[in-house]
Amino acid sequence: MSATTVPVTPVRATLRGVVARVGLLGGLTVALAVILVLSAGTGQLDIPRDEVLGSLLHKIGLDLGPVPSHPQGENTLWQVRFPRVVMAAIAGAALATAGALMQGVFGNPLAEPGVVGVSSGAAVAAAAVIVFGWTFAGSWTVALCAFLGGLLTTTLVYLMSRDGGRTEVVTLVLTGIALNAMTSAGLAFMMFLGDTQAREEIVFWQLGSLNGSRWEYVGVVAPLALVGIVAAMLLAPKLDLLALGDRAARHVGVDVERLRIGTIVVVAVLTAAAVSFCGIIAFVGLVVPHLIRLIAGPGHRLLVPASALGGAVLLVAADLWARTAVEYADLPIGMLTSLIGGPFFFWLLRRARRTAGGWA
Amino acid sequence: MSVLSAHQVSVTIDGNPIVADVDLEVSAGEVVVLVGPNGAGKSTLLSVLSGDVDPSSGHVELAGKHLGHRHARELARLRGVQLQKQGLAFGFRVHEVVRMGRSPWHRTEAAERDDVAVEDSMVRADVTELADRLFPTLSGGEQARTSFARLLAQETPVLMLDEPTAALDIRHQEQLLGVVRDVAAAGAAVVVVLHDLSLAAAYADRVCVLANGRVRADGPPAEVLTGELLTEVYGHPVDVIHHDGALLVVPVRPRPVTTLTDTSEEESSCSAV
Amino acid sequence: MPAALRPPALGVLAALLALLLGACGISAGGGHGSDDAEGSTSAAPPLADVEPIADVRSWEGEKIAVPRDELDPVAENPAQDLPATVTDSQGTRVKITDASRVLALDVYGTLSRTVHELGLGDTLIGRDVSTQFAGTEDLPLVTQNGHDLNAEAILGLDPTLIITDTSLGPWDVVLQMRDAGIPVVVVDSHRGLDNVVSLTNEVAAALGVPAEGKKLAERIQAEVDAIVEQIAAVAPADQGQRLRTVFLYVRGQSGVYYMFGEGSGADSLIDAIGAYDVAEEIGWNGMKPLTDEGLIAAQPDLVLMMSKGLDSAGGVDGLLERLPALAETPAGQHRRFVAMEDSEILGFGPATASVLDALAVAVYAPDAIK
Repeated sequence: MSATTVPVTPVRATLRGVVARVGLLGGLTVALAVILVLSAGTGQLDIPRDEVLGSLLHKIGLDLGPVPSHPQGENTLWQVRFPRVVMAAIAGAALATAGALMQGVFGNPLAEPGVVGVSSGAAVAAAAVIVFGWTFAGSWTVALCAFLGGLLTTTLVYLMSRDGGRTEVVTLVLTGIALNAMTSAGLAFMMFLGDTQAREEIVFWQLGSLNGSRWEYVGVVAPLALVGIVAAMLLAPKLDLLALGDRAARHVGVDVERLRIGTIVVVAVLTAAAVSFCGIIAFVGLVVPHLIRLIAGPGHRLLVPASALGGAVLLVAADLWARTAVEYADLPIGMLTSLIGGPFFFWLLRRARRTAGGWA
Repeated sequence: MSVLSAHQVSVTIDGNPIVADVDLEVSAGEVVVLVGPNGAGKSTLLSVLSGDVDPSSGHVELAGKHLGHRHARELARLRGVQLQKQGLAFGFRVHEVVRMGRSPWHRTEAAERDDVAVEDSMVRADVTELADRLFPTLSGGEQARTSFARLLAQETPVLMLDEPTAALDIRHQEQLLGVVRDVAAAGAAVVVVLHDLSLAAAYADRVCVLANGRVRADGPPAEVLTGELLTEVYGHPVDVIHHDGALLVVPVRPRPVTTLTDTSEEESSCSAV
Repeated sequence: MPAALRPPALGVLAALLALLLGACGISAGGGHGSDDAEGSTSAAPPLADVEPIADVRSWEGEKIAVPRDELDPVAENPAQDLPATVTDSQGTRVKITDASRVLALDVYGTLSRTVHELGLGDTLIGRDVSTQFAGTEDLPLVTQNGHDLNAEAILGLDPTLIITDTSLGPWDVVLQMRDAGIPVVVVDSHRGLDNVVSLTNEVAAALGVPAEGKKLAERIQAEVDAIVEQIAAVAPADQGQRLRTVFLYVRGQSGVYYMFGEGSGADSLIDAIGAYDVAEEIGWNGMKPLTDEGLIAAQPDLVLMMSKGLDSAGGVDGLLERLPALAETPAGQHRRFVAMEDSEILGFGPATASVLDALAVAVYAPDAIK
């Protein structure tokens, strides 16, 4: 082979990479902006779009455009609708990023945060609060306990699957499944102990809902999500290397154990943050990264930020539908994401099988 | 002066001695080939040498330091490994996989060489035409060559390869081992596990024969690869033939029964050859 | 939002009805003179006007008890003493300056009815799903699924005062209303004979009409005392002779049913109609699923139910088929079921006396109900 062959391929690949990166992230950012505007302007209280815009402008000090004419219009926007839209975007971004990380650290496109037990741990903790009526942290009690429960079960799964300082992926998954079975039993027991109201609260929590989002809660979820997403972007390049397999990744200098722990912690934090306030919203972490991978390939440097944006777009759109589809009604958003995510996932499964490299 | 050395390395799993009291030294510029029957402990020894497995007793030194005392990234700059099986969890493209070999040099001066190293490695491994292909869609041989390119791109002073030629056709076998010799000539220390004894004879500076976890012989191919030794180690009659300056290792097979008068049988036996 | 914490009071148990009523979807036609369910279509005559049957235990057959709807405000648009500052049942100090646009929301519709009886029915600008008395048909609905508050719908009506309890959720929506600057007075969510007076006064205080509240409360108390006295005259004096009664909540085909016990309001009800509370005997708290054997062991003579629940189980025939355990009880054998509209039977409030009256007639003089 001649050494004078012009190295066109790497340059072309890099250029294409840059264009793809800018194009995809740019496109997703635009989509997010559009859906945010659409969502902010739509709701069961009819406020014309220009008034919504006017309200925003006035808030930032620009006296342009009409303010909402309805006496409670301003309040509706700022106390009810905007926090909900923002919460949807943040929770969506957190869930999708967590999903992308999970898939990277497990080397399997089917992995989703629930596998490590974070959702089920959060569910049991939340159920306990609801059933026993704990109030030691006021209205934060459910969220706080859900958060701690999620982290606890994740830690348990991880510790139980370690052997000689190393964790095999398969062991991790199986331990997660075993723990999920146990927490399901725990949850069933909670539901038995509780009265019917508690039961319905638990079921509704499991279905997920963004109803009642307030700025206070946004104030908690936002920094957690931000920290998580930034951490995810730092972990991203090393996650690519994990695709080679544990041994080969170690050979190119990756401290696999540390990477795995770090990633799982970030996943748990992101997921627990979203789940604590919004209940369990499934499939966002599974479908969004998968879609991005289909479009942009598996490189995590692009996958992570694109998933975050994509997740935000998805959940804002889903919530818009959930709160406006039926008059006076608020459909549980987790039901919606599962209904759409499920069949979609089957389709992705078939398409991606060939290029995913097989799942040993 | 040896760059890589194993001192009384033993690996015992569940009471079974897979590797027992192995001493091995590899110097810069040398190609050492490990051969031996199935279960002789070749791959296990290689995984101890690469730091993947801790020996039950004994130790390995790399570039003057105990292997266990270095952390992953440091090790990755000193030694590169090509495993027998190539797995890839996601559909990365060939050039992306090769570029993964550059990751130990991330954020060092050597990172400036990344593009050149990747391109160069792909040329030497003959995978340039495959650059944009998705790795999981490649054939076994193509995947092996891609992994070899990744190893080359890592630009380490020590290289370890476990059966790199298993899936390759004749042309690529020769090509790969030719590159290995070039790399050694440029100053690297190379350990290769090979199944094919003729290949070992052709490309090794030294051949180390393992049997039942122990070193049976260690030296230049002509000395080590003798009919007696190989017959004993492999448990099958083996002839070593010198042909045109090359060493050919040929298993002894029972001759087909033919008579000169039977033309049809002769033809058929010819075609069988 | 996951529903936040309710005050761990007995009100929590009563709030169960939120889910139950919501799950069924409240009947549209209201319980007054409507023709739902089996049997009677008209309101029960007053207990005072009917002749109780000789042997209460021998009666066979189910009855739907429909209370007489006697709306009678104690005043007409009374002057409201505002601004007023009240400390609500959760200890929150709420300042009310304007009570011209009021939402009174709870799972039974008790609060809106109380507002109406105080003479301020015209101030109501919306309703919960259980509020169906005359004059409220055109009020917009602000609860989804019957028991979930819709924030935007509430704000859309531009209320100046919200009176609610913890029976509707999510709690965060209530907090959002406070965030929006609307005064929210949270009253006791427990429903029973014991707090009819205090609940009435709480609502009146929030509206700035304490005098009318006192008047209404006293009237309700007097009515209740009167009917309880009438019932006492009719019901067996000896505890051992009283009808063993259970309150069962049944929904649909699932075969799971709940018994309402202490603190649910059913206990109050059963005592008031002069029956024997089986749940009290076995120390049954709240609302929990009952096993078949438990039901048989209880041997009730009478089963109280919500009429929607009875319908959803397929009437008495369907119910007996689905719960064969019931057939092993005197109540099942005599088909002694008394059902009433979901939102009325445990709603208490201003309608308490007429509810007790109708139930008593259904129990002690069932032949008077056509």
